[in-house]
Amino acid sequence: MASSTLRNPRRSSRPLYQKYLRFSNGLFMGLCVASTLLILAILAMVMLYLLSRGFTHISLDFFTKVEIAEGMAGSPGGMSHALVGTGILIGLASVVGIPLGMLAGIYLSEYSSNSWLGAPTRFIADVLSGVPSIVVGILGYELIVVPVGNANGYAGALALAFIMIPIVARTTEEMVRLVPNSYREASIALGATKARTILRVVLPTASGSIITGIMLAVARVAGETAPLLFTAGASRFMTFDPQQPFPSLTVAIFLFSTGPFKDQQQLAWAGILILIGLIFLLNLVVRLTVHRVQSRRFAGA
Amino acid sequence: MKQSVMSADGPPQRAIDMSGQAMPNRSPRVQQSIHGAGEKRRAPSLGHLEAVAEDESTTVTHEALETESPVVEIDNFSLYYGAKQALFNVSMNVPHGKVTSMVGPSGCGKSTLLRSVNRLNDLIDHVRTEGSMRYGGMDIYSRNINVIELRKSLGMVFQKPNPFPMSIFENVVYPLRIDGEKRKNVLMEVCERSLRGAALWDEVKDRLHESALGMSGGQQQRLCIARAVAASPDVLLMDEPCSALDPIATAKIEDLIQELKGEYTILIVTHNMQQAARTTDYTAFMYLGRLIEYGPTLDMFTKPRCRQTEDYMTGRFG
Amino acid sequence: MAGLARIGAISVILMLVALLAVLTTAAWPSIQAYGTSFLFSSDWRPNELNVPMKDGDGHVIIEDGEVVMETIPPSFGALPVIYGTAVSSVLALVFAVPLSFGTALFLVRLCPKKLIGSVSFLIEFLAAIPSIAFGMWGLFVLSPLLQNYIEPGLRSALSWIPGVNGWLFEETVKRGSKVVTSEVPLTGSDLFTGGLVLAIMILPIITAISRDVLRNVPRAQIEGTLALGATWWQSSWEMLRYSRSALFGAVMLGLARASGETMAITMVIGNNNQIKPSLFAPAQTMSSLLANEFAEASTEIHRSSLCEVALILLLMSLIFNVVARWLVVGKGARTSAAA
Repeated sequence: MASSTLRNPRRSSRPLYQKYLRFSNGLFMGLCVASTLLILAILAMVMLYLLSRGFTHISLDFFTKVEIAEGMAGSPGGMSHALVGTGILIGLASVVGIPLGMLAGIYLSEYSSNSWLGAPTRFIADVLSGVPSIVVGILGYELIVVPVGNANGYAGALALAFIMIPIVARTTEEMVRLVPNSYREASIALGATKARTILRVVLPTASGSIITGIMLAVARVAGETAPLLFTAGASRFMTFDPQQPFPSLTVAIFLFSTGPFKDQQQLAWAGILILIGLIFLLNLVVRLTVHRVQSRRFAGA
Repeated sequence: MKQSVMSADGPPQRAIDMSGQAMPNRSPRVQQSIHGAGEKRRAPSLGHLEAVAEDESTTVTHEALETESPVVEIDNFSLYYGAKQALFNVSMNVPHGKVTSMVGPSGCGKSTLLRSVNRLNDLIDHVRTEGSMRYGGMDIYSRNINVIELRKSLGMVFQKPNPFPMSIFENVVYPLRIDGEKRKNVLMEVCERSLRGAALWDEVKDRLHESALGMSGGQQQRLCIARAVAASPDVLLMDEPCSALDPIATAKIEDLIQELKGEYTILIVTHNMQQAARTTDYTAFMYLGRLIEYGPTLDMFTKPRCRQTEDYMTGRFG
Repeated sequence: MAGLARIGAISVILMLVALLAVLTTAAWPSIQAYGTSFLFSSDWRPNELNVPMKDGDGHVIIEDGEVVMETIPPSFGALPVIYGTAVSSVLALVFAVPLSFGTALFLVRLCPKKLIGSVSFLIEFLAAIPSIAFGMWGLFVLSPLLQNYIEPGLRSALSWIPGVNGWLFEETVKRGSKVVTSEVPLTGSDLFTGGLVLAIMILPIITAISRDVLRNVPRAQIEGTLALGATWWQSSWEMLRYSRSALFGAVMLGLARASGETMAITMVIGNNNQIKPSLFAPAQTMSSLLANEFAEASTEIHRSSLCEVALILLLMSLIFNVVARWLVVGKGARTSAAA
């Protein structure tokens, strides 16, 4: 039985402790607000600085000229070669990475239910997306650059594809899973094969969100530097031949910003602006299009 | 002694003199005199609800309640979720030291009313209240009430047992922990008394430091009662405490309620008519957000004064 | 279709196998040469050394009027980079975890509904900024700021505490037989800066996952604490306690990300392969070592040693990721996207 002596050691309330409680409550509530504000302030600081420096140094030359070595007439030139290079690298990476990633995603969603392959694939795809990208660069170096003998665009593109595949696979899986089962059943009931159902019903239904997933993967690899350092290498020239060392925006920014020349550093600022602008646009489009489904997904670089 | 009380949102209401009544002897927070139920306002037009609720928008309160001293006084209380009104001008007094049940079909607002008493509805966005609700003479919804202290005096037991992921001991003494109690002997003493009070001591005394999540559902619920009791509240609010339990565990909880009666004022929401009949002194019947009839449990079951009550009690709807 | 899809799935598995196999093969010469001492040696010297040969008494040997030289082979030990990675990552967690948890609590329990979307978007946009951008910002903004203002400020504020001065702001160097104590030069390119930049980079991932985790704490738990009269902070504390394993998983994912981060850290950590107790001394992490030396590694054993470092880095990140995902699974967080 609860006896009335139970009430109460604490009912003889301790005003000091009450004060302490009120104080600590306010303190921690304030700290939570403060940490949010601090993170937003950091973001604002970083972004504003990068943007202002970028806008100061961006010029038409940036888009039209290639790098001109220090000391030569017209130095430092522009980064058109790096822009084109990044474009081609992403294109090549997409050619390999998107189909493979989508196939893996389709497998995970549509075929893996009674197969031993599903769970490990899903797990490995998750884990792979957390592998440090520099390690991927070294893989590309050992696999391609060593046998070929020189850094080349293909190696860079493959390294990027390696990073894309797990992301595309997991997004595709999640998006395809969102397609209601009744669609599949309706198609099968009409006598369609499973493959035809996937191609004609499931994928078209999910296509919008799969495309946004792919855009996130593109946004992610567009900002990658580390995997390109030893694979695509760097080049000062406009080149369209992926068998040669290949320029890219990120590697060029890295070399310029850590190099000794002021005007090259200024090019790097402009380069960062373009890069962040591109990534921001991709993310914004994704957010606007799939707001309801996956508003919280982001491509990290 | 006449006094005008300003309710949170509504107009000032004339309080009825009830000074002839005895003060509840176990409400240390009572500082003002007790005010009885205010005037009943006529409810506004209700559109489609009118047909079922008829025009009986006033509560039928049996005279027996007038002899009781109230602990919680609910006066013309209305509650809105955004634009949707969930409670309509509810007025009732919860008598001291008695077990009062609230019954009614699902969605009639009985849980909402219960959760309004300790202001748990504060957590939900866009909740708005009108009218007043007083505990020990203080307006629960007034700006300068200490909600934390209020909740410490109004223990609550939820529909599903919700033990915290810690040991049985830590669960029971949690209310003391958050008050900064560190003395081992005090904690142990309260733990034992509360567990005994909840008829759980003998079952768990040898495994006080094992996780509470390993207990059966019925044990978990009694643990939650022990936890609420450990806070030494005046009132225990119980929100369908047996709905997630099997019949044997339910019987144990009902016995427990009988034992706690007198010690605590208990306000219990239940779906189960037999439970209300077996365990409670007073019963309030709610329907579509209104309090329809409120009286001694026996009278409510045997000679209800409203047709809706009778229909519900005899199982004609609900 | 089934076959093609299966190829896709198998290729994902093959990717992991390829990573492990290729790196192990490439690292094999180094593994054979150094064994486990690779992990515990702090001697990272890619080039062979020519030093005067000494006799048993420590005297230089001279024959025919010339000093006899001996060649010491290159030697590789990963301890300094393991140390650099560990310390910079832990520093990053120290800065980032309280901020992230605080922000997650804000988003779950305090933030007005209308603002949640935009605040989340902004914080997660921080995750989308490429590493190289943080590197440039760190190099040109944060590092000079730290060097000129914050680090000297910290020195004058902290060095009176017993032990702190010797730990953070002084270093002892052996010069011949003498031990010389000198001030640590404050360069702004050091472990501290590295930790700060890493912290900014892992804030979004820890915030996003802990927000999802906290959002999934059952309502009954929160109401249970509040109904007993807990204050906002006391019930928030119970929320943190309730989801502690998943939150630990979120921290692990942050750790995985911090330890594998390359470009930003390379640009701010000073790239000096050494173990100094001071947080204001330049250091080197595994990834920055790879970024700095891999392209220029000319000898087989040097490259192989670098590959072994990469292998250690890979295994470490695999362990962190596996543990983290195991802890967070089913807690409602989208880890695949956030990583």
